[in-house]
Amino acid sequence: MLPNAKTCHYPRTPAEAIRILKDSGPRALILAGGTTAALSSDPKVEVLLDITRLGHDGIQAAGRGFRIGCNARLQEVASFAPLRSFCTGLVAQAAGAVGSRPIRNAATVGGNAVQVFRWSDPPVAWLAMNARFEIEGPAGARTVSADEFYARHPRQALDGAELVLGVHLESPEGPHAGAFSKLARTAFDLAMVDVAVLLSGSRKSCQEARIAIGATRTLPWRATRAEERLRGKPLSAEALAEAARLTREDTQTAADARTSKEHRLHMVEVMVRRTLERAAAELR
Amino acid sequence: MQIHVEVNGRTQTFEAMPGESLLSLLRREGYLSVKRGCEEGDCGACTILLDGRSVRACLLLAAQAEGRRITTVEGLGSIERPHPLQQAFVDAGAVQCGFCTPGMILSAKALLDETPRPDEGQVREALDGNLCRCTGYKKIIEAVLLAAQRMKP
Ligand SMILES: Cc1cc2nc3c(=O)[nH]c(=O)nc-3n(C[C@H](O)[C@H](O)[C@H](O)COP(=O)(O)OP(=O)(O)OC[C@H]3O[C@@H](n4cnc5c(N)ncnc54)[C@H](O)[C@@H]3O)c2cc1C
Ligand code: FES
Ligand code: FES
Repeated sequence: MLPNAKTCHYPRTPAEAIRILKDSGPRALILAGGTTAALSSDPKVEVLLDITRLGHDGIQAAGRGFRIGCNARLQEVASFAPLRSFCTGLVAQAAGAVGSRPIRNAATVGGNAVQVFRWSDPPVAWLAMNARFEIEGPAGARTVSADEFYARHPRQALDGAELVLGVHLESPEGPHAGAFSKLARTAFDLAMVDVAVLLSGSRKSCQEARIAIGATRTLPWRATRAEERLRGKPLSAEALAEAARLTREDTQTAADARTSKEHRLHMVEVMVRRTLERAAAELR
Repeated sequence: MQIHVEVNGRTQTFEAMPGESLLSLLRREGYLSVKRGCEEGDCGACTILLDGRSVRACLLLAAQAEGRRITTVEGLGSIERPHPLQQAFVDAGAVQCGFCTPGMILSAKALLDETPRPDEGQVREALDGNLCRCTGYKKIIEAVLLAAQRMKP
């Protein structure tokens, strides 16, 4: 319940939404899927902004990848056939890992990307893919890489009146394969550990590795030492196991209601190794 | 503010507070099949169909329903003429206290509208956001499969 909300706007264009956001400042609250926003009881909020009617709700092929509109629902991402094979289904699997179907039917790509929680699943895939976020605001349009977008909380990266309008994905040139894994107590529960990896090259010689970890600290992060260990090297069982060990060493985490610090660290190592093995098995 | 929505095929205008949940608005307007459970998206008792897709009424603000199409269990069938899903829930013994039943039936309806002949795995997946504290789920899954069989064109 938002006790002081007085009006709701239904902007038809991004420009209209940005103008309302700018005029209303901290009194405004964006509603996309609403799955987080609707639970807010912030007394400052007076103006609601339903942004689901301003377009940007489709998924289009673009270059070596896709552009996903901010208002696409996570269930659409999870079930969109071309995305289920793109990078071995890495992105579709991460979207499909979110909550239950009614949550995925409502939650949007934009809302999930900006309203990131420690355990959020899709941001881990955005980071592994080095997705680019298309942002528009009063000062015009800009594009920000996932590395930059998740270097601090996206809310801080966005100026108050900016919108994320889409996410761009591009596969690496040449042969590549991805994989995503989520560790949770039930299909519906929040992640204890998330791992997304993207490998390019061949099993004899890995060209590039991107390894992203979620649910261990506030924001998803990349295991860059492990990535470097694999770059230019054969993807042998030993190499993958060592990359997993390095990731564990670099993991900062703590106990929470779901599990202990030790269990989480152990599972980071196990899951990174297995997720790398799954991706490597797809390469020649 | 006024909200214009189509509920169970009828165009309606409701008076709502912009910041209240769609769950509270629907219950005030008499759609009591939409249950108030956890009110944080976990249990699925408040499931409705919004433009044909299963969603949580507790995770939507009333204002978000403007111009949309809503289905609740009140719109599916009556005591005299139950919907095949409702009849199958009775026949399969899938109802105990009944609190989860409207949400289960709507999640199942969304599934059958899209996939008329689901396998058991697809039924489980479609119901994965609906909690039942009584039945143990087995009878519910059987009921959905039974309804699918009976609704076969
Ligand atoms: C019970 C439950 C279980 C969940 N489980 C998971 C899970 O396992 N994994 C997971 O990843 N997520 C999970 N989620 C979903 C997640 O927590 C977020 O609620 C959801 O992804 C937000 O998306 P939304 O479209 O509903 O955003 P909203 O709630 O509509 O928006 C939240 C905020 O995001 C910002 N925002 C939204 N869209 C834009 C945009 N285009 N540009 C700029 N800012 C924007 C605004 O500030 C807005 O107020 C769960 C949610 C619930 C309720
Ligand atoms: S009351 Fe909405 S999910 Fe529990
Ligand atoms: S029948 Fe009682 S909760 Fe499902």
